[in-house]
Amino acid sequence: MLPFESSVVTVISLSAPIILVVIGETITEKSGVINLSIEGTLLITALTAFAVSVTTGSPFLGFLCAGLVGSIAALVIIICDTKLGMDQIAIGFILTIFLGKLSSFLGKEYVRIPGPYFQELSIPILKDIPYLGPSFFDQNIIVIFSFLMIPATWYFIEKTRLGLIVKAVGENPVSAQNRGINPEKVRIIATVVGGILIGFGGAAFSLHAKFGWSENHTGNYGWICLAIVIFGGWNPIRAAIGAYSFGIFQIIALKMQSVALGLTQVLPLIPFPLMILTLIFIQRFNRSDRTTNLPKILNAFFGGQSPENIGKPLEKN
Amino acid sequence: MINFNINNFITLATQIVLAAIGASLIIILLGASPVEVITSIFDGAFGRPEKIVKTMLIFLPISLAALALIITFSGGLWNIGIEGQIVLGAIGASWVSKSFLGESNISPYLQLIVGISMGSAWGLLCGLLKVKFQVHEIFGGLGLYFVGSGAIIYLILGPWSKQGIASTSGTDIFPKESWFPTVSSLNIPALPIFIICLIIIAIILFLSFSKLGLKLKATGVNPDSTNKFQFNSNSYIYLAFLIGGGIAGLAGVFQAGVFYHKLVPSISGGYGFLAILVVLASGKRVVPTLLLTLFFSAMIAGGSQLQLRLNLHSSLISIILSSMVFFWLVVNSVPVKKNISRIINRGHNASF
Repeated sequence: MLPFESSVVTVISLSAPIILVVIGETITEKSGVINLSIEGTLLITALTAFAVSVTTGSPFLGFLCAGLVGSIAALVIIICDTKLGMDQIAIGFILTIFLGKLSSFLGKEYVRIPGPYFQELSIPILKDIPYLGPSFFDQNIIVIFSFLMIPATWYFIEKTRLGLIVKAVGENPVSAQNRGINPEKVRIIATVVGGILIGFGGAAFSLHAKFGWSENHTGNYGWICLAIVIFGGWNPIRAAIGAYSFGIFQIIALKMQSVALGLTQVLPLIPFPLMILTLIFIQRFNRSDRTTNLPKILNAFFGGQSPENIGKPLEKN
Repeated sequence: MINFNINNFITLATQIVLAAIGASLIIILLGASPVEVITSIFDGAFGRPEKIVKTMLIFLPISLAALALIITFSGGLWNIGIEGQIVLGAIGASWVSKSFLGESNISPYLQLIVGISMGSAWGLLCGLLKVKFQVHEIFGGLGLYFVGSGAIIYLILGPWSKQGIASTSGTDIFPKESWFPTVSSLNIPALPIFIICLIIIAIILFLSFSKLGLKLKATGVNPDSTNKFQFNSNSYIYLAFLIGGGIAGLAGVFQAGVFYHKLVPSISGGYGFLAILVVLASGKRVVPTLLLTLFFSAMIAGGSQLQLRLNLHSSLISIILSSMVFFWLVVNSVPVKKNISRIINRGHNASF
């Protein structure tokens, strides 16, 4: 094996769930909605995926069911927000606690039992390319799917008309409405699609990256994903870079386990101070009056504005 | 006029019943009996004097956290970072207890000062990030919470580790002098209860009768328009975090100095998050908040009985509490509430 090849493969593979979640949340937040429930949704969808795949013997069915549960959680948030005028952050917060505890309650029988795996899809020839081969072409469907979602989402948001509509609703729903777009409908769809991806992310934990189920199985990953979305400046590619960087931190922490016990426990928390620093950078470098002075390459790293209307309820005409 | 009030009362009662039905349905769906669950919980919370003291020990930190949140919510701030402020307060208390001052009789009072200051500082940092760097308080607060959690784990495994072997079960027990003094054989924490009473009175006076409190609430409603009235909303954001962070820090001091008598990794016990649920449901009003906190504390204290008696996982408590708050918010949302009162008005008028 080539130097570091196994580490690269591990990072790509372990980051799959986080990639799916941050992409789902990025799409949601682009439309102006914050799905704060990720921490809880991940737990309940991870349990759903594992329980369904153990019961039916089909990990694929488990994966799909997790997407369904994720979409239901998202639907609750967006319906309460658009139809009942409730605070989306409050609902997201309540769901975080509700779904998280529900997973502990319902998951008792599934703690530390074996279950079916996804098989690796080895693509001939491509899998022999150094680094890239084992990272992308000798992995299971979840990892490949997560990787494909990155450019696909970027293309959707930046290059398609539908993506533009989602962005318009996130930035200025009133103008979008004046142009004949139904912001309510767009937000509902974007949030539900985001919820499906977050559900897939939960499934990717229990069926792949952190196989099986235990109480609080994906503990804190939800909050970390929220941080990475911001670190990514609401751009799927940068969010993916953030997710892979977090994967690198985890690997380093794992390798240092024998050296320094304390560090292992503290290192996974690094995304948070980093997120705060990124937000400070975004604010310092990306004010409208300064962007023009900033070299393009720096802007690509530190640019990225939060959607103007994020977290705010729609004003009804 | 009286008729109007009666209808309002009936609406409120209907809302409470609907929310209770919603939560009961969840309990039934999970395969338990709501009546059995509730009676078992309340027996566990109030059945014997010692149990009442245990409920009180849970009430102390949650009520403080909830009072802290009333202040920050009044300023229009989503202080999810409250857990971090509790953590910092507990670190402050442990710092005093672990130092040479830990064995002197003034230790509890020093813990109060250091813990409250550290909680305030953590709150202010969140405010600074919001005002100076436009970092939303949810993300800044969460970030600071995880930094605090990292610090606690580092301290427990590193500088403050148990003699002999470092373990995540916590530090060594504090010296006896650092424990908060208690009254009677039931170990009732008199000083903390007295402090909480003072804080409750102060907050009621502050929010309802002081100009400063009024301005804080105005900032919460609309920070842009308040800026036009020649006062700076930003200073009120700092003020809210200063007071809220300090009260949350006090909750941390009580967790370390009154409840555990040591520093443990999960020192906040998730009470900050539970307090957010309380305040979401109570709508920032002090008296309903305290009553609801009492209910929450009783549920948590009695929850330990569930496992023993009904063989139900203790996570059921948080499931019940969060679903109750959810259904309460649903029946309080404008369209639902309007419909409920319309139906009641119609029924009421028809009966006359």
